[in-house]
Amino acid sequence: MMDIINYLFETFSSNMMDIPLIAPIVDYLMKIPVINVLVALILWKPFFAVIIMPGLGVLVLYLLYVVWYERKLTARIQWRVGPLEVARPIRGAIQALADGIRYFFQEAIVHREAHRPYYVQLPILAFIPVLLPIMFIPAGSAVGIYTPYSIQLIVTFIALIPITIVAIGWAANSRFAYIGSVREAFMYFAYEVPFIIAVISMIFLYGSGDAYVAVEKQSAIPGALLNPIAFIVYIIAMLMATSRLPFEIPEADQEIAFGPFVEYSGILFGLVMVLAYEKLYIMTLLFTILFLGGWSGLYCPLLGDLNGPLWMFIKTIVVISILVIVRSIYARYRLDQALRIGWTSMLALSIAALVVGGALGVWLS
Amino acid sequence: MDEYVLDIPVEPPKELRSLFIPIPPEYVEDTYKSDDFLILVGPQHPGSGHMRLIVRVKGDIIQEVIPDPGYVHRSMEKLAENRLYIQNIPLVERPAIMDAPNFNLGYVRAIEEALDVEVPERAKYIRTMLAELGRVGTHLYDAAILAVFIGHTTGFMYPFALRELICEALVRLTGARFTSSFIIPGGVRRDADESTLKWIYDMTLAMERRLKSFERIFINNPTVIARLQDVGVLSKEEAIKYGVVGPFLRASGVEYDVRKVEPYEAYDDLAWDMPVSDAGDGYARFLVRVNEVGQSLSIIRQCIKEMPEGRVISEQIAENGNDIRGSFYDSLSNIVLPSGEYTTLTEGARGTIVFSIVSDGESNVPYRLRIVSPGWLYLRGFMESMKGERLADLQAIYGSFGYFPPEADR
Repeated sequence: MMDIINYLFETFSSNMMDIPLIAPIVDYLMKIPVINVLVALILWKPFFAVIIMPGLGVLVLYLLYVVWYERKLTARIQWRVGPLEVARPIRGAIQALADGIRYFFQEAIVHREAHRPYYVQLPILAFIPVLLPIMFIPAGSAVGIYTPYSIQLIVTFIALIPITIVAIGWAANSRFAYIGSVREAFMYFAYEVPFIIAVISMIFLYGSGDAYVAVEKQSAIPGALLNPIAFIVYIIAMLMATSRLPFEIPEADQEIAFGPFVEYSGILFGLVMVLAYEKLYIMTLLFTILFLGGWSGLYCPLLGDLNGPLWMFIKTIVVISILVIVRSIYARYRLDQALRIGWTSMLALSIAALVVGGALGVWLS
Repeated sequence: MDEYVLDIPVEPPKELRSLFIPIPPEYVEDTYKSDDFLILVGPQHPGSGHMRLIVRVKGDIIQEVIPDPGYVHRSMEKLAENRLYIQNIPLVERPAIMDAPNFNLGYVRAIEEALDVEVPERAKYIRTMLAELGRVGTHLYDAAILAVFIGHTTGFMYPFALRELICEALVRLTGARFTSSFIIPGGVRRDADESTLKWIYDMTLAMERRLKSFERIFINNPTVIARLQDVGVLSKEEAIKYGVVGPFLRASGVEYDVRKVEPYEAYDDLAWDMPVSDAGDGYARFLVRVNEVGQSLSIIRQCIKEMPEGRVISEQIAENGNDIRGSFYDSLSNIVLPSGEYTTLTEGARGTIVFSIVSDGESNVPYRLRIVSPGWLYLRGFMESMKGERLADLQAIYGSFGYFPPEADR
């Protein structure tokens, strides 16, 4: 028993985050017998990257923030106040938490027509492709699993997400859910091809699917300036993929009443509602790596290894905060119009991006 | 692509009978056999209002829409038969609470026609102003509903914020935000003072400024234009054939406005244009109403500038010409209309409103009151315009018509 604990402690402490700011506290805690294993585990780089930053811990924080921020920003644009009553001193900032608690204690109704086992377990299964990419997303020296094919792997998992949503619509077995599923499937093909071509153009440009190589190559000029066409295609594909306006077509609440998720209630609805937000987070992390120089930024010696994850998180949050403004500017496109955009202009732009990326990649290497 | 006919036995769902859906079972069977799909939109649907639309779609294309209205029917016509003429004034306003002054005006004008009451000039100007305030309020409301139907929440909030100005104007003028029952046989309830009129004048200018930002974010928005242009087209012939009324008829290129054709109140003395469009699509229907808002604001300003002095209640009704308070019931409760039928046409915000009072000549309640609201008149054209469009266009067309079920159901 002690051998195992010692072995684990050795493993964890050999690869720990080095953060000078909290070094005295860590040193003190490392002297206490049982706690030191826990502290070593938390600061173990793979664990830190996956569970804390930029993984699950800040994902939860981000969800709380983005739901509130989106509502507040939309409200300010629309001459309103927005969420306020939950925690007035901080301007209703924990509104999403209050909503979450309400969802949790609300009755989750499973209607008679639903395919019960799939209907109940699919919202939870849908988290597998959403959360797995976090394993491969590096942030500075903190990385869950290092692989030279991390960008390809992340794209693969993102491509798996719509399948679960289509399955959710099928399991709900309702007309509007069925229409929503079909719309989701159509949109999936419309954005996925330009999206993957745009990512491939960036891989050509950097000459590798390794996130570290990509970030290193952007040390002088960020990817957004190296290949602006791919940048634009990626942003539009991101709006389509996370069903944000003007491409909020699968969930169009005035037309098909939240589409695939129409029958969900209670905590199940809470789970499916945050799916799109989490997908947005993962896609923005990849966006940051590909176009905005990833975790590079001003180095603060006090933070040590925390610099990378922190910069990555800040860039991601800034990008998302800019993206959510589209919700209050645009109306919803019709499905055929969105498909036309996806299969004509976006596809053409992405192929142009591929040419630019390939040419620049050859020239740079 | 070839179509294959499948001969599979179809059983119409039991809900057809229990939900009182107004389509025969054979229709359902025929739909299923021809590889179509029936979708019941409403009455509990975020994009249907208080009505059910039975939509027959082939893939994504709408083949036919059968309306199932009547969910907010309040039997106004029957209720009116048991009330005094003046007690009916608040009742007839209820169908379209945004457009209350126009409904009020139509009903009161029918009574005045029967009693042969001459309305003082100043009252006519105040009535015109009220009617135009109601029109602007309704058009803003409909624009907001159109915006939220195509997913533009900012386009929903701006007009509702602007409508607050209209409500404030009505509060200052009449004392109620809407359904003010301000227009009475022989004039209006009381005179409007200078400061109120000045406030309304300034309000119209302020509203025009704010409408600019609405124009930037919604009217000229490329996504909005993409959604509405060439959608739900009604040609001139179709619009006439299906009896479409109001701005929706004018959007199809027919120059018909009751205010121009049979001018009532002060419309004849004022200078204003009739916005017309030839396109007949959803965007034209919207733009015509947007332009009408501009015209209405101009009419309101002209009314305030040119308003003559004098009494606001006819001598035939009350002695005090400036205020009916204190003598309202004495002067008006016992009016008895001479026997006959009296019909008026009024141009409401959404189209022609028909009021028809039948009196037996001896009782102080109407024998029969017939209300035909514009919603009911253009329902047919509304349903026809959706044929051949996509399912996602249903809400866009709905919003472009500004259909208001309580108004149509009465």
